[in-house]
Amino acid sequence: MTVNPSTEEESYRHLYVVIEHEEGKPIPVSLEMLGEARRLIDNFNKKYSSNEKVVAVVLGNNVRKLCEELLFYGADAVIYADSPELQYSRNLIDTKIVSQIAINKECIVKISPDYAQLFKKPRYMFFSADNIGRHLSSTVLAELESGLASDINKLVIEDIELKHEHKTKGQGMIYAKTLEMYRPDFSGFLWTTILCLDNRNPAIEREYHPQACSIIPGVFQPLNRDVERKGIIVDYAPKLEEQDLNVKILSRKVIESAVDFDAHKAIVSFGRGIKDSPEENIKLIEELAKELDAEIGISLPISKKPFVVNEKITSTYMIPDRVIGTSGRKVNPVLYIAVGVSGAMQHIAGMKESEFVVAINPDENSPIKDECDVFIKGKMEDILPVLIEELNKQKVAMGVRK
Amino acid sequence: MVSLNVAVIVKLEPDFSEGNVSYNSDGTLNRAETKSILGPHSAIASKAAFYAKVKHGASISVGTMGPPIADLALQQSQLICDADELHLYSDRIFAGADTLATAEVLKTGICKMEGEKIDIVFSGYRASDGETGQTGPQTAWKLHYTFLGNVIDYDVDLERRIVLAKRLIILQGFYDIVEEVEAPLPVFITVDPSYNSVFNTVSQRLAFVRYQKEANDRAQNYKKYLKVFNAQQLGVDPKFVGLPGSPTIVYKVEKIPKAKASRKAEIINWSDRDQIQKVVARMQEILGGMMIK
Repeated sequence: MTVNPSTEEESYRHLYVVIEHEEGKPIPVSLEMLGEARRLIDNFNKKYSSNEKVVAVVLGNNVRKLCEELLFYGADAVIYADSPELQYSRNLIDTKIVSQIAINKECIVKISPDYAQLFKKPRYMFFSADNIGRHLSSTVLAELESGLASDINKLVIEDIELKHEHKTKGQGMIYAKTLEMYRPDFSGFLWTTILCLDNRNPAIEREYHPQACSIIPGVFQPLNRDVERKGIIVDYAPKLEEQDLNVKILSRKVIESAVDFDAHKAIVSFGRGIKDSPEENIKLIEELAKELDAEIGISLPISKKPFVVNEKITSTYMIPDRVIGTSGRKVNPVLYIAVGVSGAMQHIAGMKESEFVVAINPDENSPIKDECDVFIKGKMEDILPVLIEELNKQKVAMGVRK
Repeated sequence: MVSLNVAVIVKLEPDFSEGNVSYNSDGTLNRAETKSILGPHSAIASKAAFYAKVKHGASISVGTMGPPIADLALQQSQLICDADELHLYSDRIFAGADTLATAEVLKTGICKMEGEKIDIVFSGYRASDGETGQTGPQTAWKLHYTFLGNVIDYDVDLERRIVLAKRLIILQGFYDIVEEVEAPLPVFITVDPSYNSVFNTVSQRLAFVRYQKEANDRAQNYKKYLKVFNAQQLGVDPKFVGLPGSPTIVYKVEKIPKAKASRKAEIINWSDRDQIQKVVARMQEILGGMMIK
């Protein structure tokens, strides 16, 4: 069994976390990534008797204060680039600067002198799997010419024994300190583990570092803010070239979604279970929601418009704005009614904080059963009219009592 | 007339629409039983390209990497955007490519498209069957094109050779933002699912109808517009494509273990009216109780 050549391995150190923020306030996933990075690197250092760091990377305008916050949330060090040109994220300039920082040795001399001499690139790198991080991670890794796994919700570091036609030319080899990146597939029932590995096959030999991924918001726990936590802050002066600044932001408007889950105490959501008669079922769901003054949510598959219904229903309900789950909103209403939702983990992650959950489903084996307080077994075509009728009756009764 | 050359990158994907999609009993996709079509986001990207044709008379090339049957995606895209040229990049050695290796093929292909140089490349924001939106930006980076993601609306100023675009940025935990940007050509745009083209003037609507008819005719004879390239014809280095050019591998695929039940459900049969009454009363109580606060 061949093990990595050790000097080569010494060139890749630390876990870099690319932070996203809005006007200096970190968006939640940034702190979640730091929390997970801290846990992984603490275990890593114990297991391998090393002293590698969690390094946060921040671009922005007047972000020095944010850097201190990031130390409180678990970073050992922060490298930041501060310039009015970096006020808002722009892919081209951000990619250039994040890539420059990733291979910058001078920063590492300040952060971790022990490992600075051989340092070439980060060992691991995290980005957020949102509208900005998905693209930034892609372009940064294209620039660094290494691998990227997206939309990850579980991470493990292991020494992996592998025999691979291309990577190892069929030989058994050990890849030490490999980041196992788990990605739930679109159905929510399968987990794919992705590895980013050097080609050790002599015919195609190539190193692939950093091992990078983008992380789904809302999955990992941030650490508690601890002002006693100390660390190093490094000011990186970026090289800004004219042609990298050619995208001009003309305006930036905050928009209110037409769907406001927070303004309602109840949410009625539906999933693929509406399939037998989608149009009629959605009408029943509308009626139930009206009785409860509830907002209407959907599961991710519905936003892909899998049913042919009239245009108004499609454009009102089968839209990304209504998706509850890791690809959409996280909600915590007082009452959550899941109608024909099977309960894939991505959906559960978006609604598990609800206070009281009622599920309507014909299949007692569907995962939603373990995530609800009341499970009404049966077809929605039968149940919804009964619920609506009862709600009406009881409302009338209450009205009389008043 | 000032010319505009546009490209679209598309992908053949499983058809997730009800009646066509088939799931195994464990909830996973039954690939053998599920038909393949032009991915829905590729269709939106094609629509965005068609806008450039109607508005500016752009010439359009559509490209895809895949097995020979992926020409179906090209045909369906041509039907939407009236493409002038279709490219299929197909070679056994491309198989198993991750996004970086795929981007290498697409970049090389785009450089071979007709017209002096492609001004705008469109792609969907992600594929529905796994690829999570990296291929577009990575292709853009390899082409040295300015990348604009999540574009919900765009226009081209041909005189100034710039693109004006609106982008939707969702900051989870904060709010959504619509950003207006301008960027000099060439650009690479990934189109947000909410994109919709509008044609306001009579001449645009006439052009729309004319090109749509042309698209119908062309798509029926799409092979006339099709060029197939293998690795050698493209001139890609085999080290940078397919499995050898892929930093990442799929190490394992497993069923996601069922999470521990977080709640203990009370199970009610729908026909038990008494129980249903109690549930409804409880719902009212929970909601009403809050109202008093």
